Amino acid sequence: MNQIISSLQQFWEFTGFCNMTWQHLVMIVIGIVFITLAIKKEWEPLLLVPIGFGMIIGNIPMFPGLNIGVYEDGSVLNILYQGVKQGWYPPLIFLGIGAMTDFSALISQPRLILIGAAAQCGIFGAYLLALALGFAPNEAGAIGIIGGADGPTAIFLSSKLAPDLMGAIAVSAYSYMALVPVIQKPIMMLLTTKKERLIRMPAPRAVSQKEKIIFPIVGFLTTAFIVPSGLPLLGMLFFGNLLKESGVTRRLAETARGPLVDVITILIGVTVGCSTQADKFLTGNSVKIFCLGLLSFVIATTCGVLFVKFINLFLKEGRKINPLIGNAGVSAVPDSARVSEMAGREADPTNHLLMHAMGPNVAGVIGSAVAAGILLGFLG
Amino acid sequence: MRKAILTYALILASILSFSAAGQNVSDLIISEIMPASDSGLVDDYGRRNGWIEIYNKSQGTVNFAGCYLTDDRSDLKKCQISKTDSRTKVGPRQVALFYASGNSADGTFYIDFEIIKGMTVYLVSNDGRTVIDSLTVPSDLPCGKSAARVAHDIRQQQWDVAEGGLVPSPMVVNGQKGKTSGSEKLAHDDPHGIVLTVVSISVVFIALLVLWWLFALLGFSVGGVRKEKKASPKKGSGKMTPEVAAAIALALERELGGEVYAAIALAMHQYLNDSVHDNESFIITIRHNQSAWNHKEQGFRKSPRH
Repeated sequence: MNQIISSLQQFWEFTGFCNMTWQHLVMIVIGIVFITLAIKKEWEPLLLVPIGFGMIIGNIPMFPGLNIGVYEDGSVLNILYQGVKQGWYPPLIFLGIGAMTDFSALISQPRLILIGAAAQCGIFGAYLLALALGFAPNEAGAIGIIGGADGPTAIFLSSKLAPDLMGAIAVSAYSYMALVPVIQKPIMMLLTTKKERLIRMPAPRAVSQKEKIIFPIVGFLTTAFIVPSGLPLLGMLFFGNLLKESGVTRRLAETARGPLVDVITILIGVTVGCSTQADKFLTGNSVKIFCLGLLSFVIATTCGVLFVKFINLFLKEGRKINPLIGNAGVSAVPDSARVSEMAGREADPTNHLLMHAMGPNVAGVIGSAVAAGILLGFLG
Repeated sequence: MRKAILTYALILASILSFSAAGQNVSDLIISEIMPASDSGLVDDYGRRNGWIEIYNKSQGTVNFAGCYLTDDRSDLKKCQISKTDSRTKVGPRQVALFYASGNSADGTFYIDFEIIKGMTVYLVSNDGRTVIDSLTVPSDLPCGKSAARVAHDIRQQQWDVAEGGLVPSPMVVNGQKGKTSGSEKLAHDDPHGIVLTVVSISVVFIALLVLWWLFALLGFSVGGVRKEKKASPKKGSGKMTPEVAAAIALALERELGGEVYAAIALAMHQYLNDSVHDNESFIITIRHNQSAWNHKEQGFRKSPRH
């Protein structure tokens, strides 16, 4: 009888109920909220569902030493997590992004590239604020990259600069990417006048196949020579785009933008979610990171819109840029471009800004990869 | 045939160059040599020996199996490192240590000679002829010090021989102790982050400005920018006036029948399913697709019945 009781007691000690703390419950609730938002509101469902479920997986209270946790060497989750920790998932995602992105909007209106550069001020604004809050420079750099609004870049950089903060940074980046319409639109409305919102931009010219093929090669050579530390991200991005545009590697492009990116998205989402274990995630630093992440998005959007207004001062009538596409400089593709379209159509239902906004949007992807490379070069 | 040979030759050359770059023993250097002393490192047998430390400068793992260590320039094959031991690899920017016990039979990481002051140690490639690196132990080396190269800039891999020797640091990359990370440097030099911010924003802008300039140039050289300008009529602005737009809209309204709608819908369907390979942006082309409705078989005359 005693043996049965002792066995049951031992079993009880192994269960999640015995090892549960309130922090575990909080994280599980956050995971469920993520899944709910993804399903009900359709906010970045491809990311929030895996991350939300990963949070639940990672926060099941367990007896330590079973070699199943994401931070326990050799466990299945730990092996999958190596792609995040060593930073090889993000470049593979960039390969897929390159293979699915049409850079025509950028090639046809290259002047819009600079909006993508202006919006990167969000990264460095958050970096300065993080330093002021007492974070070390490497941690501040990793936090700042949230302002790039690019999940894979945020994971890549934080895995190199501040692995301990990676969970909070990744979740923060993806959460705010999902909230782009909520964050950006009020700022855009606040910073623009009715007259500015009505600006019609000239239709982009047609882009030839030759230009599309030359773009990834020239783009890669230029950016990689200036910032070699961004090589993994930039190389994969432009390589993916070359697969798409070359016209002779259709199967490879389809795999890169289809099954490959889907597999990596699942793995990155679940493992990043798993890494947010309550004891590592629910800290004062995470709260600061979430606040800084929000501020970085606000700064990025503000800088993008104000930059367009600034360059409009030098442009002739008919060549002016609608400042509503300034927000698209943050690289949340294509959500921020959609926000420009929505805001533009609210002012004038016949004024479609999506095509124009895609230019700064994809420039933002390049800009955030370049910024990540710079931060890695200085702080690594 | 010639094309195939060229392709195979290119593939072979890339494989060879890749493997050569991946495991290049020329990236090894002798980073530290410690003569035998009473306070030296204790080996696996409890003896105090001199030792030789080898450092891998490259970013990849280097396998030094079959290489040689010698103290005699005329006998480069004096002591060969085991070819069969899987441990004969040194990771990127890592070190490997050899005990100079005087008897290589003690193990893979033991060599056939002892270290004395004034001698020069050579690291020889596995071909037995190429000297990869050598380091001399000064005859006036102070007691308790080792002959060593120190990394003054570990990033640039700049190594210099330490004057007057070095406090022995077996299995530790020389110069690593004093190395500060970029973050630590910046915390000291730029505590508020202003310099980094200004420099970084400038670099981002410069990188994208160069791209802007290049693509604008590209548009003029291979794109349609100049051609479009040439094609535009000399008279008039070339812009679509509201009257012209209204006329086109009216014509389309009159002409658009069900067939036109169907064609547009088909083109959109093919475009969205990526079954169209359009050569130009903003232009959708319809490619002929075989289906049960337009299959050749449908046009065949049925075979006569007997």
